[in-house]
Amino acid sequence: MKKSTFTLLALAILLVMACKKESDSLPTPDPSEINAGGETTVFGTFSALFEQPAPNMSADETNLHALGDIGFEATFVTAPSEVNPGLGPFFNNTSCASCHGRNGRSPFPDDASDLGGLLIRISVPGAGPHGGPLSVPGYGGQLQQRAIYNTQPEAEVEFQWEELTKTLADGETVTLRKPIFTLKNGYDGNLPSNVMISPRIASQVIGLGLFEAISEADILSFVDENDVNGDGISGKANYVFDEKKQQMALGRFGWKASQPTLEQQSAAAFVEDMGVTSPLFPNENCVGNPACDGTADDPEISQETLHAATFYTQSLGVPARRNVDDTQVRKGKALFQKAGCDGCHRASFTTAQHPDGLAFLSNQKIYPYTDLLLHDMGEGLADNRPDYAANGQEWRTAPLWGIGLTPIINGHSNFLHDGRANSLLEAVLWHGGEAEKSRQVVEKMSKQDREALLVFLGSL
Amino acid sequence: MNLKFQFAPIFILILLAFGCSDDDTKVTPSDDHSAIIANIADDVIISTYADLDAKAGSLLTSLNTLEASPTAPNLEAARQAWRDARRPWELSEGFLYGPVDTKGLDPSMDSWPVNQTDLDNVLASSNNLTKEYLDGLDGTLKGFHTIEYLLFGATGEKLVGDFTTRQFEYLSASGESLKGITEQLYQSWLASAGNFVKNFKEAGTSASIYPSQKAVLEEITNGLVAISDEVANGKINEPFSQQNLTLEESRFSANSKADFADNIRSVQNIWLGTHFNTNGSGMSALISAKNPSLDDKVKQEIAEAIIAIESIEGTFTSAIFNSPSTVQTAQQAVRKLLDTLQSEVLPVVSNL
Repeated sequence: MKKSTFTLLALAILLVMACKKESDSLPTPDPSEINAGGETTVFGTFSALFEQPAPNMSADETNLHALGDIGFEATFVTAPSEVNPGLGPFFNNTSCASCHGRNGRSPFPDDASDLGGLLIRISVPGAGPHGGPLSVPGYGGQLQQRAIYNTQPEAEVEFQWEELTKTLADGETVTLRKPIFTLKNGYDGNLPSNVMISPRIASQVIGLGLFEAISEADILSFVDENDVNGDGISGKANYVFDEKKQQMALGRFGWKASQPTLEQQSAAAFVEDMGVTSPLFPNENCVGNPACDGTADDPEISQETLHAATFYTQSLGVPARRNVDDTQVRKGKALFQKAGCDGCHRASFTTAQHPDGLAFLSNQKIYPYTDLLLHDMGEGLADNRPDYAANGQEWRTAPLWGIGLTPIINGHSNFLHDGRANSLLEAVLWHGGEAEKSRQVVEKMSKQDREALLVFLGSL
Repeated sequence: MNLKFQFAPIFILILLAFGCSDDDTKVTPSDDHSAIIANIADDVIISTYADLDAKAGSLLTSLNTLEASPTAPNLEAARQAWRDARRPWELSEGFLYGPVDTKGLDPSMDSWPVNQTDLDNVLASSNNLTKEYLDGLDGTLKGFHTIEYLLFGATGEKLVGDFTTRQFEYLSASGESLKGITEQLYQSWLASAGNFVKNFKEAGTSASIYPSQKAVLEEITNGLVAISDEVANGKINEPFSQQNLTLEESRFSANSKADFADNIRSVQNIWLGTHFNTNGSGMSALISAKNPSLDDKVKQEIAEAIIAIESIEGTFTSAIFNSPSTVQTAQQAVRKLLDTLQSEVLPVVSNL
C-alpha cells in the first residue's frame, strides 16, 4: 500500500469519526412509538387528522362511527323544529363540534361576550350527594352564559388578564398571562358571593376509547398519594359517581377526571353544554330556575343517538408520532425524561379488554403521555374548586399525544385547562406543585436544550 | 501493487461521499411543489374567496334594494343574487381548512338548520335589526340558510306580499353581516392582511404551521376527500336514505343540485388548478407526473359525478321520491370519485 493511499485512508476514517453526531449517544427510539395509538393510529400532518376513524374497526363499527359523526356535528336549535330540536333553554354552545373544532381543542376566547369552547363550572362550598361538587341553588354545577331567545342567560362572564414575567436562566423572558374570571348579573340577583368557579376549555377528543380500555389496576399502580417513594410526585385517583351503574367508579375523563365513562361524559356534555337531554340525563340543566322549559319533550335525543355519539368519541384514530428519529426530537425526549416530566406524563400503557368489548381498542400498546391521575399543580394553576376527590389545586395529567398538531388542527397554540398558555413553553412554565422541580429544570436549561424539549413536544 | 489495496482510493472516496451525510432532507427539483401550492392558493382558493366576497356584496345590494322597494322583480333579483353568492361558497367547500374553520367563519355563514323558533321570536321583538345585532347572534340565525329561508319561504313559494317589514330589515342586516364575514375570510388569506397564505407558500420553514410541502399537499387532498364524502354520504345520503326532506340542506331554494355540482367543481378547480379559466397547475400536475392514468381517472370521475348530479330528474327534493334511481346514480358517481381520491390519490401524496 502506497504511503499516500494509507494517509488518505486514515484521514478519511478520522473525518468520518469526526462527524459522529450527538444523536449517536442518544437512545434509539422504539419504532412502536410511531404508532402512538397502536393499531388505531392514523398518519399524516393535516387539519382533518383528528377526524379520521380508527383504521382497525369492522365495517359495522365504521358505519356506527359515521353515524356518530353526524350526531357530533349536528347543530341543535330551539324546539319546536323539524330538525335537531332541543337546544337549551340554557346552553354554552349549539353542537359538539362548535367547541371541539376538528375534534381538537378550543382556543382561548377573544372576547368574553363569546366564550366559544370555554365553559365555567360552578359550585358552593360543601359536597353534593355522592361527594361531588355542591350545586349552586338555581344555577346547577355549570354556568350557561347563553340561552334561547326571550330567556335571560344564567349570568354574564367577564375576564381580565393578570400578567407575570419569568426570566429563564439564560436570560430569555417569557410573559405569562392568567385569566381572572368573574360572574355578574345572575338572572335572579342571587348568585352566591361564595360561588367557586372553574374555567375549562374544550379539549381534544382523540384516543378516548383507549383510555376506557386501560385496566383500573394499571392506572392505580401509579397511585402514590403519600409520596412513599419520595419523588415529589403523588398521583391520586379520582372516584366519581357512575350514573348508569349507580355506584362510585374511577374517574378517567375531563380536566379533573370527574367522569367515569365516555357515555356519561357525552351525555353530560349534551345536557350541560347544549341543554339537550338524553336517557342518561333526562332532566334539563336548569332545575330550580323558573325559566327552565316545561316542554314535555325529554329525552331530546334517543339512546341510539347518544350511543352513536359516544362511539364516535371512542373510535377516533390517534395521530402517529412524527420525526421520532430526528436528533432534536431524540434529544428533547431524553431531556423530558431527565427533567422527570414522565413521572406524570407517562409515555405508555398497554390497554386491556375494553369494558364494552370493543376489540379494536383492546390490547393496544399506546403512547398517550399521561397517567390519568390527579396531581397538585400548584397555586398558579389552581381553580380552588374541589371536584370529588380532586382538590382545588389538583388536575388530571393532560394527555400529550397529538399536542404538537394543535396549530394545524385548530390554528392556535393555547394550552392548559383554561387555555391561558400561548405556547407549549408557557404551558410548561405554569407547572407548579408536584411539577415544581421539573419546571425548575426546564427554567435552567440552555436555550438549545429547551428548544430540543419543545421540538420533542411538537413531535407528539 | 498489492491487490488488497488497489481499490483503497475508491473506498476512500465512497467513505468521504457518504460519511457525513446530512439528516435533513434537501428539496430537490422533483420534490419542489411550490409552484403547484402557490397556484392553488392564489388562483383557486384566494380567487374563490375574492369572488365569494364580491357576490356577497351584490347580495347585500339586492337585499337593500328589496327592502327599499319590495317588488316581485326585486325579490327575484335578490333570490338570484343569493344563488350567485351561494355558488362561490359551494366552490370553496373543497378547501374547508385554515381561517374558515379555525376562526369559526363557516358556522357564521353556513349553519344549518335555521333556528326558526328563535327567528320568529326575534322578528316579533322590537330589537333594532342592525349588522351589529346580527353579528352577535348564533350562526343558526344568520348566514346563507337564514337568508334563504326568509327569501324563499318554507315551501319556496313565498310572494313579495307575504313579507313583513321586519323580515326585509332582517334580510338587509343578515346580508351586511354575511358580507362582513366573507370579507374577513378573504382578508385572512391575503399576504397583505391575515396572511394565512404564507403557511402554504412557506411550508417547511418556521414561518409556516406546515412542516413540509407534503403536509400542505396532504391538507389539500384531504379537503377533496372531505367534500366528496360530505356530498355522497351527508348531503345526498341523509335526506335520501331517511326519505326525509327536512334533512335537505338547500331545500327552501331548491338549490341542492347546484350545491352538490359546485362542490364537485370545487374538487375540479383544485385538481386542475383553475378558477375563472385561469391556467395553472393543480393536483393534476403532481399526480400526472407520478401516474398519468390515475390523473385521467380522477378527471373523468369528476366530470361523470358532475353530469350525474345534474342529471338528477327535476329538483333533488322531488327526485328523492319520484326518481330515486337518478339520485342513486349521482350518489354512486360521487362515491366512486371519493374512493379513488381515498384509496389511490392519498397514498401517492402520503408517499411523496
